[in-house]
Parts: sequence; C-alpha cells; structure tokens
Amino acid sequence: MQFVRRIISRCAIPLTALLLIISTQAGIASAATKVAVAPVISAQSRSALSPTNANDAFLRQLQREGRLARSVNVLDSLGQTTIVQFPLVPSSIKQAFPNATGLVTIVRGDRNNAFSDTVTVDVQNMPPNITFTIFFIQFAGKPFGNVEYVADLTTRGDGSGETIFQCIAFVAFAMDARNPGTSIDGQEGLTSGTNLEHLGMWFSSLEDAQKVLNDTSLMGTIFDAGNAPLHAGPQAMTDGQTLPVF
Amino acid sequence: MSIKRVFKAQWLLVGIMMLGLLVSACNSTSTTPQSAGTTTTTGGPTFPTSALALRAPAFGQQEAPTVKVLASGDPTLIVQFPLVPSGIKQLFPNATALVTIVEGNPAISVYDTVIVDVQNMPPNQKFTVFFTELSAKPFGHAEYVGDVITRGDGSAESIYHLIAFGAFAADARQASVTSTDQTGEASGIQLEHVGMWFDGVKAARQVLNNPSIPGTPFDGGGGALHAGPQVMTDGQTLPVI
Repeated sequence: MQFVRRIISRCAIPLTALLLIISTQAGIASAATKVAVAPVISAQSRSALSPTNANDAFLRQLQREGRLARSVNVLDSLGQTTIVQFPLVPSSIKQAFPNATGLVTIVRGDRNNAFSDTVTVDVQNMPPNITFTIFFIQFAGKPFGNVEYVADLTTRGDGSGETIFQCIAFVAFAMDARNPGTSIDGQEGLTSGTNLEHLGMWFSSLEDAQKVLNDTSLMGTIFDAGNAPLHAGPQAMTDGQTLPVF
Repeated sequence: MSIKRVFKAQWLLVGIMMLGLLVSACNSTSTTPQSAGTTTTTGGPTFPTSALALRAPAFGQQEAPTVKVLASGDPTLIVQFPLVPSGIKQLFPNATALVTIVEGNPAISVYDTVIVDVQNMPPNQKFTVFFTELSAKPFGHAEYVGDVITRGDGSAESIYHLIAFGAFAADARQASVTSTDQTGEASGIQLEHVGMWFDGVKAARQVLNNPSIPGTPFDGGGGALHAGPQVMTDGQTLPVI
C-alpha cells in the first residue's frame, strides 16, 4: 500500500503536466477551427443565403397559374440552384402494394454552368428484390407517348430502393431530327421536339410482374432496353399528374 | 529523500511512459506482401498481391471499327471511341474528343457512366451532347444527354450517369416498332451514335464567322431551333454504343 502511495505521489506531478499539455493542445486546435470557420459562415450569410431565388419564384408562379403540377414541391434553395420534389404513387401495383411510395428529387445547379441535372429516386414498400426501369415520359398515364429510358432501380429485400443518376431532366425532350416539331414546355415556352415532363417506373421483366402481381395475363411492354421486344412489364409507379412535374 | 532524487525518479517514470506509448503504437498488426499472386494473412485483412486477370468482353457483332472494347476485369464492360470534327472541321481541324462508356456488372448496373473529353475545341463555348440514331444528317431520333463547356484552351470534360448501351427512342403508342441492337431485336429505335452540337446558333455563327447558319433542334429549352450545327461526330455507319 505504501508502495502504491509512493508511486502515486511521485507520478502526480508528471501526470498533471501531461494532462495540462494535452488539454492545452486540444484547446488550441478547437480554437483554430472556430477561427477558420467563422468568417466563411458570416460571408455566406451575407450573400448565398439570400432568401430570394428567381428560379424558385418562377416555378411557384407557374404552379399558381396551373402550369406546374400541384404535387411538386419547389424547395427553398440557395443561389442559382433549382430543386424540386414530387411523389410517385403506385399504378399497376396499387392493389398488391397499396403502401408503395416514391419520392423524386431533381437538382439543377446554375442554369448556365450545369452540364446535367441530378435525379434521385427513393422508393419504399415496393415489391422486394425486383428491378424497375425509370423513364421520362410525355404523359403520366397510358398511352405514355414519347419516352426516354434513363435508369434502373433495384429494390432491396424490404422493398426500399434508391438510385441517383445525372442527365438532362428539366429540359428533356424527344425528337426525330428529320421532323423535330415543337411543343410548349411549361417552364421554357416553345421548344423543339416533344417535351418529356413526367416520370414513371416499370417492371423491367414481364415475368417478374406476372409473378409479383399473380397475373399471367399481363402483356409485355416496351419499357426496357435490349432483346427481346416487349419484354418489360406494366407501369409500377407514376407521378399521376396531368400537368408537368418537371 | 532529497528533492533531487524525487525529480530524478519522476523523469525516469515519464521516460518509461513515453517508451511504452511508442512501443504500443508500433505494435499494430501489419501485413507484408509475399510472393506475387498470393495473399497474405497474418491475422488481419486479406489483400491481393497481383493484378486482376483481364478479359475482353463481348460487346456485339456490329460495332464500328473505331470502337475499342477494353480488356477489363470481369464483369465490367468499357468501350472507348473518338469523335471527329464535323461542322468545325475547317476552323478547328485539330479538335479531338474521346468518349468512354463504363458499365459495371451488366446484370445489376442501374445506369452507365459516360465520359466525354475534348481538346482543341472552340474555347469558352457550350455544346450539347446527344445520342442519335444516325451519326450524320439527318441524324434521325435523338436523346439529349448533357452539356460540355469548354475552357479557355478549348478543353473540357463532362461525366453523365444514364442508360447509354441500351438507349432507344420510342413512342409507346407504336409499341410494335422494333430495331436491332447489340443484344438482338429490341423495342423502339436504337440510339447508337454520339454527337455534339453548338447549344446556340448565335454562338455558332460567331465562332464559324457565318451569319447564314440555320438553327437546329439540338438543345432543350425555349425557343425552337435555337441550337447550332453539329460540331463533333463519331462519323460511323455501324453503331458505336
């Protein structure tokens, strides 16, 4: 016991010194971090954090005028960015998966400098372990019209899934350059081609759809690439809107 | 005990503590590479010690001769092909572009990665990138993929994530329309070529010093036919993607 006391009494001074050194260094480091961050925040609060965003205001105006679907949320984004969100609802899977939900988020940076948009599709309570194709489409419901295949989404075992892709979304359009024609884009006015302003998800495999939906009479659709024709299944999720969602 | 001896003992103790810290820091598990092609397991993680075997994957039977299918690790597919100047050939004869398309595991990949690198192009200009049915006029069906904005030296790089190898155009009201792609007969009209266009006809007229250049549909947004002529093309009859 005496030995332990002796040790403690002899170590007290160096241990205290060590603790003092360590705490001093930590204090200096945290103070330095605060000093480095502080001016950045204050600069942001003066410029980029401005509450007004011309793009957001324009999109909200379109919504008020009935030119952008009510299901679209135009987020309060900073600077020159444009961020919209809208839900997807079950279409052909409604009976078997009534709680299926989808949320689409589209982000565009500066209109003049961005070279693509970023599209995030999040789904929940979908048929598990199934691959779905994602298309930009002319109409949200049948007959869908002109289409563009943009990506896939494969659900996990719990029916959730997420995919993120980077392509042109806000001004997506279809055309045959031999006769491009024109159409009215809600946000852009008269444009070349046929605007694709809706988003839908399809079973990439008809067999999967027939199995999941327990319906062998389902017909094949064009909504997947590659051999063979019409090997895709029915639409699973849709934005369900008549007015454009993007 | 004298003060001198107390201090001596304390510094001795500090020295021992520091030595202990040093030894414990150096005593972490480490793995060392052994002979090539083997893995080392010394209780920790296992690391490969030789390069992955590469194979040249099958891409299709009808790709253009300019397409290089890279030998890559299974199950990836990576193709590269050049773009050559079309509408800018006279003023920018040295313009070059390289397109790289990467598909991860074809069985599970959710999109392809498309990289477009350009050099010696008109500087500080914005160009659109399209997948097209045909590489030259009349181009046919087209899909707007993304933009490329050149720097002051005429170079630029853009990266997109979307369906490239399976890109097709379709009007779902005409579901019976089919065409042949690298996998065989498929729905819709295959888009198997890549081209770049001036995104504004005004810029094209200025750069090419030709005020009579007509507008084209190769850009999104308002108004109609505001894009300029094609600037780069894969120039092939057979598919490049």
